[in-house]
This record gives sequence, C-alpha cells and structure tokens, in this order.
Amino acid sequence: MSESGAKHKFAFYLGCIAPNRYPGVESASIKAMKKLGVELVPLKGASCCPAPGAFGSIDLNVFYAMAARNLVLAEQMKMDIALVCNGCYKSIWEVNHKLKHNKDLRDGVNEVLKEIDMEYKGTINVYHTAELLYNDKFIGVAKVRDSVTNPLTGARIAVHYGCHLTKPHKDREFEKEIMLNTEHPVWMEELVAALGATPVEYRNKMQCCGAGGGVRGYDIVHALDIANEKLINIKEAGADALTDICPFCQLQFDRGQIEIQEKFGVSYNLPVLHFAELLGLAQGMSPQDLGLDLHGISCESFLQKVL
Amino acid sequence: MARTKGYPAALDKKLQDTKLYLDDSNPEFTKNVKAISRTNAHMCYQCGTCTGSCPSAPRSSYRIRLFMRRAVLGLENEALTDPDLWLCTTCYSCADRCPRDIIPTDVIMSMRNLAFKRDIIPVNFLKTVQAIYSSGHGVPNNDVNRAAREKIGLSRDPPTTHMFPEYIKGIQKILDHYKLKANADRIVKEREG
Repeated sequence: MSESGAKHKFAFYLGCIAPNRYPGVESASIKAMKKLGVELVPLKGASCCPAPGAFGSIDLNVFYAMAARNLVLAEQMKMDIALVCNGCYKSIWEVNHKLKHNKDLRDGVNEVLKEIDMEYKGTINVYHTAELLYNDKFIGVAKVRDSVTNPLTGARIAVHYGCHLTKPHKDREFEKEIMLNTEHPVWMEELVAALGATPVEYRNKMQCCGAGGGVRGYDIVHALDIANEKLINIKEAGADALTDICPFCQLQFDRGQIEIQEKFGVSYNLPVLHFAELLGLAQGMSPQDLGLDLHGISCESFLQKVL
Repeated sequence: MARTKGYPAALDKKLQDTKLYLDDSNPEFTKNVKAISRTNAHMCYQCGTCTGSCPSAPRSSYRIRLFMRRAVLGLENEALTDPDLWLCTTCYSCADRCPRDIIPTDVIMSMRNLAFKRDIIPVNFLKTVQAIYSSGHGVPNNDVNRAAREKIGLSRDPPTTHMFPEYIKGIQKILDHYKLKANADRIVKEREG
C-alpha cells in the first residue's frame, strides 16, 4: 500500500476541546493516521457532540436529537465516523447505538430532524481512533510499531483510559473483546510500548478524571480533588508523562494541574499528552508541529527524554 | 425496643425505618425514572457496590445507593432537591460493577432530567446550552487558538460550525423545538439577573 492510497476512509468528527484547545490532537491524528493507511475526511458543519454531561442531564431527548444531527452529516457522506474523544464517543457512538436499536427513540428524533430536512437512517458506524489503532482489522499494534521513526525510548508513560469509551461495558460493542475489560485493561499500554516508551502501572488506574457529568463546572474543587488523587498515584509510580485518549480528561489533568496548584498548593509538573500527540512525536513530528506549547503544563522535561 | 436498648433517644429514632411511611412517596416518580433511564432501579438490593465504586463518594456526602433507594421508594422531593444529585461524574464504574445489572448512572441522569423540569439545574449546564446555541460548540474557538492552529498548518477555524456557520441554524431549530434556549435564558436570568 502506498502512503497516499488510504485503505480506510472515515469522516473525522472533531468535537470541541481538541480543535479549540489542543489543535495538535487534530493535526497529529490526521497526519499519523494517514501514515497508517487511514484517511480522515473533515465532517463539514459538525457541532458539539453535544456534551453528554450537560445535555444528558438537562433533557435526554435533546441530547439524542443533537447527536443524531452530527450522525446524519456523516450518513450523507456515506462514511463511518472516527473521533478522538471519549466524551464524543459517549454521545455519538451511544446515540447511534440507541437509535439503531430503539424504534421509539428513532421516531422521536426523526420527527425533530424533519424540521431541518434531515433523517436519521442508522447506516453508519462510529469508532474512536484509539480503537482503530489497536484493532488489526484497521491498523493494529504491529503497524503502529512499524510506523515509529523516533522511538520514545526511556520515557515512562502512565495511561489514563477515561470512562466513556469503554463504560458501561455491557452496552459497548468492540470487535476486540480485550477492550471490554474495564477493571484492569492493558491495551493502551500495548500501544504505548509500540511507540518505544515504557508503560507505567499505577494505583487505581481506572478512576475517573473527575471532570465529567458537569461536575467540573458545578463544583471545581470536587472535580479537581478527584484528579489530584490520580496525580498523586501517577507521580508515586514515577511517570514522566501521562497519556490520554480524551481531550476533556486532558484539559482536566493539564489545565487542572494549574488550578490544583492555585487551590491546593501542590504542583506535579506532569506533562499530559493525548495519544495522538505521542504518536505524532514518535512518527517524527516536531513539538512545534503539535502545538505542544499550548499545553498548560510544559512538556519540556518529557521532550528532553525522547528527542 | 430491645434492639436499641440503652441508645440515646436521638440515635434510637434514627435507627427506626420511617421512610416507607412518608406521605411524599410518589409512585409516579419511580415510573418516570424507569421510563427515562431505561434501566431497572427496582432490582436494586442495596448492596452498596455502586457507592463503593464511586469517585465522588469519598469526598462528599453523595451516595448513589441512597438515590437508588429514593428511586424505588418514589421519594421525589428528597431526590430532586438534594444538591448531591449533581456530583455524579457519570464515570459508570457503578454500572460496570452492579451485581443486579442496573445502570445507576442512568438513574441519576433521569433524575436530573426530572429536576430540570422543575427548574432545578446548576447554571453551568445551561451556559453550555447557550454557547452551543450561538456557536455550535460547548467550548468555542478563541484568538490564541486560531493563531496556534494557523501556525501548525490547520485552518484558523475547524471545519465545523465554526467554519460553516450556516449549519448553526439547524442546531438552533432543534434546541428551539424543545424550548431549551428560552428556558436556559430564563433560568440564568432569574439566578444571575
């Protein structure tokens, strides 16, 4: 397969925080996936997924209709969706799944969509890019390893899986059963190791970042206290950096460390990078290409180890 | 009262189960929670695995097991007026571990939906609605980010509603269908003037 001839094509659903706060996640995803034979095509006119915490709490019917609008945009392109955020996965994947399996919900949503000349048909699937990277059907760990030109040797990296990609696991459908282990998964560690870095295990790895469900906006100290507990455990394990697959978790750990310093008086200086950013670095993208200077916590200490 | 013999009167009173006989138990609430959450709260046998799995429990008085009980007993006012209702981060750890195969997180979400119908809602939730109504994004772009995007070879605005604002109209129609923007504006104004 040539580098330009993509084997798979997806409508790239961006969400909010990746393009509007960590644009490196967007550019790294497009470039890195292209090298792996996956073309990400812009999903024109997409909106917020919408935020599952805020919208799901207010009125689930609005949540379904808003997510369905984004799904219909991809249906019109006749393309499956790929996305980079666990929160978006909850909205886009889960609403797609619910609408496909519940006629009453689908009819309700289509009644509203009719007002904007749209109809949800249930013709596409939704994937997280982390899932595409891990699954041999699309890319697989071996190909990820082969694409590395700048191995992140010597870096100890902790993984934050986040919640909404895999939980609640009884509702999720992954082609790889391994991804349904939500007590102690290791598939992200396999991906981290494929980049040449050393994955680090830490206490209570699967705990939430604390930002979801509207809690970060409702009670910031409560939300930060949850993140702080994770940061203590990650630092204890001697990690050089934390990687995530959710820009909202990334915001909570990255900008959150500054807020934790202000509110609790503790600092960790732990660089936080989306896995797409790590993959970009490992494939030879520069920190400037990735806009890493936009991060709240400087990635310098980590970059010195790997570049 | 042999069981509580020797206990102080206050504790003795506390140990008695009075909840079941309260007048404010509303069976409609139990039904509504079930209809919206699409999970069976009444299967709950109060083991507490949910609270034990909850990241919010150790740092607050939020107890999801208590909300499960309120759902089953129809204690609508008690559930919807409790500020702890908004401390669930929706991590779904309780859902993954529930031995009764219930999704307690979705019970909480349904209660929040019912609370909103009574105007009980923290304003930050409504501000997200307002942001999406005007820009399509809950976290919109800004000038610092636009410059950074340009520097790394991306368009200044992402190819979303930001680059194609003509799509915002559809979003506004959906939100207006449910009168969500009007309600959000009204409640925010009432709270903040």
